[in-house]
Amino acid sequence: MRLEATELTDDERALQQEVRSWLRKRLPVGSYPLGLGMSGEIDPEFSRDLGAQGWLGMALPTEYGGHGRTAVERLIVVEELLAVGAPVGFHWVGDRQSGPSIAKHGTEEQKRDLLPRIARGEVSFAIGMSEPDSGSDLASLRTRAVREGDGWRVNGTKIWTSGAYESTHILALFRTSEDKHTGLTQFIVPRETEGMSINKIPFIDGTRHFCEISFEDMYLPDSLRMGEVGGGWGQNTAELVLERGGVDRWMSVMPILENWATSRSVEGDAAAAADLGAIAARSWAFRGMSLSVARMVDEGKSPVTEAALIKEMATRFEQECTDIVARHYGRTPDLHSDDPHESLLARAILVSPSWSIRGGTNEILRTVISKGLNKR
Amino acid sequence: MSDVRADRDLVATVRELFRERCPHEVVTQAEADGAAPEKLWAEVVGMGLHLVGIPEEAGGSGGTILDALAILHAAGEQAAPLPLAETMLAAMILADAGAQIPEGALAVVPPTAELRVEGDQVSGAAARVPWARGAELLVGVVDGKAFTAPVEVTREGVDMAGMPCDDVRIDGTVVGDTAADLGLLGALARSAQLAGALEAASDLTRQYVGERVQFGQPVGRFQAVQQHVVTLAQMAAMASLSVDRAALATLRGPAPFEIKATKQVIDKNATVAARAAHQAHGAIGMTQEYRLQQLTRRLYAWRGEYGDEKQLALELGTKIAAHGKLHEVIVAGSEIIK
Ligand SMILES: Cc1cc2nc3c(=O)[nH]c(=O)nc-3n(C[C@H](O)[C@H](O)[C@H](O)COP(=O)(O)OP(=O)(O)OC[C@H]3O[C@@H](n4cnc5c(N)ncnc54)[C@H](O)[C@@H]3O)c2cc1C
Repeated sequence: MRLEATELTDDERALQQEVRSWLRKRLPVGSYPLGLGMSGEIDPEFSRDLGAQGWLGMALPTEYGGHGRTAVERLIVVEELLAVGAPVGFHWVGDRQSGPSIAKHGTEEQKRDLLPRIARGEVSFAIGMSEPDSGSDLASLRTRAVREGDGWRVNGTKIWTSGAYESTHILALFRTSEDKHTGLTQFIVPRETEGMSINKIPFIDGTRHFCEISFEDMYLPDSLRMGEVGGGWGQNTAELVLERGGVDRWMSVMPILENWATSRSVEGDAAAAADLGAIAARSWAFRGMSLSVARMVDEGKSPVTEAALIKEMATRFEQECTDIVARHYGRTPDLHSDDPHESLLARAILVSPSWSIRGGTNEILRTVISKGLNKR
Repeated sequence: MSDVRADRDLVATVRELFRERCPHEVVTQAEADGAAPEKLWAEVVGMGLHLVGIPEEAGGSGGTILDALAILHAAGEQAAPLPLAETMLAAMILADAGAQIPEGALAVVPPTAELRVEGDQVSGAAARVPWARGAELLVGVVDGKAFTAPVEVTREGVDMAGMPCDDVRIDGTVVGDTAADLGLLGALARSAQLAGALEAASDLTRQYVGERVQFGQPVGRFQAVQQHVVTLAQMAAMASLSVDRAALATLRGPAPFEIKATKQVIDKNATVAARAAHQAHGAIGMTQEYRLQQLTRRLYAWRGEYGDEKQLALELGTKIAAHGKLHEVIVAGSEIIK
């Protein structure tokens, strides 16, 4: 598998500078809770401000309030956000994957209703795929949507739904027939729909973004169905490129690394300096891979295998970075420390195992990559 | 967006050439002889491949550094037993210094050699000079001056891949000033060769596990074995892409960060990949009759030359710690870290 090298154009570099200086003003150091990459804090006001800059829904079509920009331009914006641990939690999923997915598969009405709001940072999406008995074997899922008049009656349970409680919409995958892969259909479920109840599941670090959703005789009009009946699996697979190949897969700990790089623990310590150098070199290499995949997306390709290949190794790299900083820290970092960098490191240690589980486990990704390589 | 690329026709031709002319037996024979296969080297010289990346006005074959690196990548894929990188590097130095490029193979005095300069005389000794024996001339750089020296081998040796790697005495003459950074050029050249060998080890392993049957099925069906195949693909993809990116960066200006990062990353990838490739092959990979070792022994040899994993990491890390902005460095590289 050869990835093509690519560099930023002058316009793209200008965008990078623009985002960087805007962020410096909008998020002065110490003025916001630091986040770990895509699990950054939920801050609807920040999301709306970002939207006002034209930096959400960037690649969405302009006729639906998007900005008709490229995947590379989106990468540039996202990279700057993650570098400073920005509060991206409210808009993250909608901007990264639900928006593009709706643009591709949604009805005219869904596009007109939702895309402008995604681009303005007014709505927040959660992904309802996993179920108690269906994790890696997602196609075995059992939450059922049964035809009823002009709509659907839904019963079942979703679990591990990140951010569902605070979200405004859930993009869910339900079973509409017995055929394993062709019996799945996607629906856009508004948060306030009757028959849906959401409970928080405390996460390992004490945060509460993980949720369980129960559907009890929830009725959905057919207008909330997204894409073809039975087309959910294919639509879902296409979304994965957007989800897997990005810079978010190796940048979770960037604020921690940034702080560590300037700390006294590196100065004059050759072992630490060498670790820092190796981390910088590898981050540079990963950035090249993410950029290359983004260019492929802009060229209309669907680099599914490439994206999986990057995610599988990048998530392990993030974990390694966490271990390295922890090793040089000199003591066990305190989760409740007043020093935001210390508590962020403690949080990273606790949650890092999840990076190679969410979005498809590394074991499953290896099978995806292996199959993809053998098809070449 | 049109990024600059290596000449596709050239790359295809060169890959084909090495694929045809460097089968397993040729590489084995070269090792036994302690010398490059004469006919093949003559062919490479005849095509002017050793002078690609050097402008025609300076006595080269034209083309960009991207073309030169693509040739080295292709040579690495086939474990080509040739002093190609060495001759290219030496010729680049001579061309940059405005000196005549002699015909025939050239060897490079490693930038780590301890040398004395008096007037235009350069003297000293250098250990482990790849392909010294058989070269027309030694070429090196000291204090911004390019020099040449006759080949005077004091001890013959070989590298991990069994290729000539000799100790030499140096009694040379300055031939001109040069701004070329031999350490960086060498690191980039070795990175290209390493990336080529990584791609080949990856392909060879994938092919082998698809054919080798145990427990009634190809071993490549076992997830534990697939993991090795995936690791190899990852190491190779990252390596080749990084070489291309570092090369693009050199077209813009000096690129010490990108080149060092590339070599650092690839040195580590070489180590990881060699393990994975051998593990997936079982015993046969450990034999000289099978091709894998021709690739992995080159990975071991090259990963330690022109900076190794630890030295490069330390150099990069020390500079970044002093500069203080990690993300900026990752994004802008040599534009802010020299
Ligand atoms: C932080 C976090 C956020 C998440 N957010 C969401 C979300 O927003 N929406 C959502 O729908 N889901 C979400 N998930 C769920 C996630 O998609 C699943 O956890 C994941 O797909 C794995 O499923 P599982 O946890 O049931 O593990 P299981 O599938 O039960 O796997 C257990 C172990 O067995 C291995 N395994 C399983 N099958 C195979 C196989 N065929 N070959 C080899 N190994 C195998 C797995 O790799 C794993 O190591 C989130 C998970 C985490 C950790």
